[in-house]
Amino acid sequence: MKRSIRTVMTALMAATAIAATAGFATAEDKPVIATVVKIAGIPWFDRLETGVKAFQAANPDVVATQYGPATSDSAQQLQIVQDLVAKGVNALAVVPMDPAVLEGTLKRAMERGTIVVTHEADNQVNTMADVEAFDNSFYGAALNERLASCMGKKGKWTTFVGSLGSRTHMQWVGAGEENAKKYPDMELVDPNNESFDDANGTYDKAKELLRKHPDLAGFQTSAGNDVLGVGRAIEEAGLAGKVCLVGTGLPNPSAPYLDSGAITAIGYWDPQKAGMAMNAVAKLLLEKKELKTGMDLGVEGYNSVTVTKGAGNGVLVIGNGMMLDDKESYKAHLF
Amino acid sequence: MRRVDGQFLVLAAINVILLALGAAISDGSFLSIFNLQSMAGQVPEIGLLAIGVMLAMCAGDGGIDLSGIALANLSGVLSAVIVAHFVSNVEQEGLYTALFIFGALAIGFLGGLINGTLITRFGITPILCTLGTQMAFTGLSVIVSGGKAVVVGSPEPLSSIGNEFWFGAPISFILFIVVAALIGGALKFSPFGRWLMLSGSNPKAALYAGFPRSAVVTATYALSGTLSGLSGVIIAARNVNVKWDYGASYLLIAILIAVMAGVRPEGGYGRIVCVVFSAVALQLMSSLLNFGGLSNFVRDFAWGALLLTFLAIARYDLVGFVFPERRR
Repeated sequence: MKRSIRTVMTALMAATAIAATAGFATAEDKPVIATVVKIAGIPWFDRLETGVKAFQAANPDVVATQYGPATSDSAQQLQIVQDLVAKGVNALAVVPMDPAVLEGTLKRAMERGTIVVTHEADNQVNTMADVEAFDNSFYGAALNERLASCMGKKGKWTTFVGSLGSRTHMQWVGAGEENAKKYPDMELVDPNNESFDDANGTYDKAKELLRKHPDLAGFQTSAGNDVLGVGRAIEEAGLAGKVCLVGTGLPNPSAPYLDSGAITAIGYWDPQKAGMAMNAVAKLLLEKKELKTGMDLGVEGYNSVTVTKGAGNGVLVIGNGMMLDDKESYKAHLF
Repeated sequence: MRRVDGQFLVLAAINVILLALGAAISDGSFLSIFNLQSMAGQVPEIGLLAIGVMLAMCAGDGGIDLSGIALANLSGVLSAVIVAHFVSNVEQEGLYTALFIFGALAIGFLGGLINGTLITRFGITPILCTLGTQMAFTGLSVIVSGGKAVVVGSPEPLSSIGNEFWFGAPISFILFIVVAALIGGALKFSPFGRWLMLSGSNPKAALYAGFPRSAVVTATYALSGTLSGLSGVIIAARNVNVKWDYGASYLLIAILIAVMAGVRPEGGYGRIVCVVFSAVALQLMSSLLNFGGLSNFVRDFAWGALLLTFLAIARYDLVGFVFPERRR
């Protein structure tokens, strides 16, 4: 008998270190909206978390918190979602790492009565509402229009995508190509270069392209780091301000290239607003309200959303949250 | 006569404490049937991989299996791609399930056999060999799937394995316990188990004693590969889809589970029951942290702390320190 008590004591010693870190959360009566992002601790999702916090401050009648795996692994995100469903949160707002991996679990969550909202996953079947910052073809066309006006609507141009398997990127450059058909003097050369979101690789590829086509006048890029790689190549070739570059990027990292003129303009959506919009949609669904076209989610860029049928039984909620910033305007949105 | 296993007692006590702590911070909802089922459903895929790592470690000579999760994904992806060519997962559900499971297990077995052959026949160090095959398996899954998720769907009875319950426990968990029990029994009572442990603790003596060492090591890696295949089946059953990059973090977690379970990295000792308890403890802890709403970085920290604690227990015989009467 004495032995077993001592055993428990030893184990207590071993477990205290871990147990102490677990802390004590109190039970809440208010509905809980749990936001789950792809990875915790990277700038994009830290910015999204500020949106979750802002939503919480504005809506004290719900509990809004953000979770995310420490490593970029869809299996880890899956575990978090499962634990949250088991914990009994009222609503999930998920930015899926890999929509396919989460399908089964989200289905079970909805069967259990949990509200499911997603973001950046317009192909997710098992969701009640997928929130997108903008219509992808509209965004691609807008980027291309900005590029065309910089290029004077003529000359050779090319495109970069993160990878050929990246759905949204292909939609963006596809819409860009469609838009460029309006201008017969614009000639697309060597399109759809894969960047793998790696600034160094993109830099090398952009240098090669500039050598191959000395008269290249424009780049339209897609992944977040592409503008940095291409921008560096343009700057080092002494072509800043002469070759146009429009692509997806965030203001803070792009700032030096925007100032030097190596980047013409960057397009993006603000993850903070997307986080607020996801939570707003989750709250509307918790209140059993219907999502309608023209609705105001009370978030900038989502003041008049378009609601269409989604990939499954849910809906697609599309905002107007596109941001397009150049040298003059980016300083107002530093993050 | 038999010495009480300190590692086992500590692991069991930690499980009890984590359950009690979870109940305390969640007002009891941690112990709700739904959550217990949800946690039990999460253990098997990683638990099976950990058993594979343990077997490889027991084989000695720096034995380890780094190719576990890569082989599990390959089994799921390749089997799904091949079987979908012949059988529809909507019209012939039973046949699809049978062929898919057979395919995944066979691919896992073959992958393990390749590991074992490379190690015994060509004398490649296990850590390098399995690192190489890990990359080869991952690459092969990317090629056959084109880098995209492969749909398995929800054909019965495959989907039941991932989502249904027997006597309140997830079928996948029961499967995991049965497999663990079978392997545990084999290690304890069969000549294979004796050979494995003894040749693991002293390969040279085993050679001179005339053990079929190559055959034993090859069989061990083949068994580890088959467990990966089974893990692939469970992943497919739970997630509806299989993908080449699923569970990239599982590799290190599987090793962590094995080391926490007191498996000796130099070979020759390891208990299945400890691996099962250790896998359950890690699951309880990570779910507990999610219930407490804490950052997942805290979880990594906590796992590290737990691992160091166990290494300290093993190194300094803390259990013997607390129970002096048990010292021999």
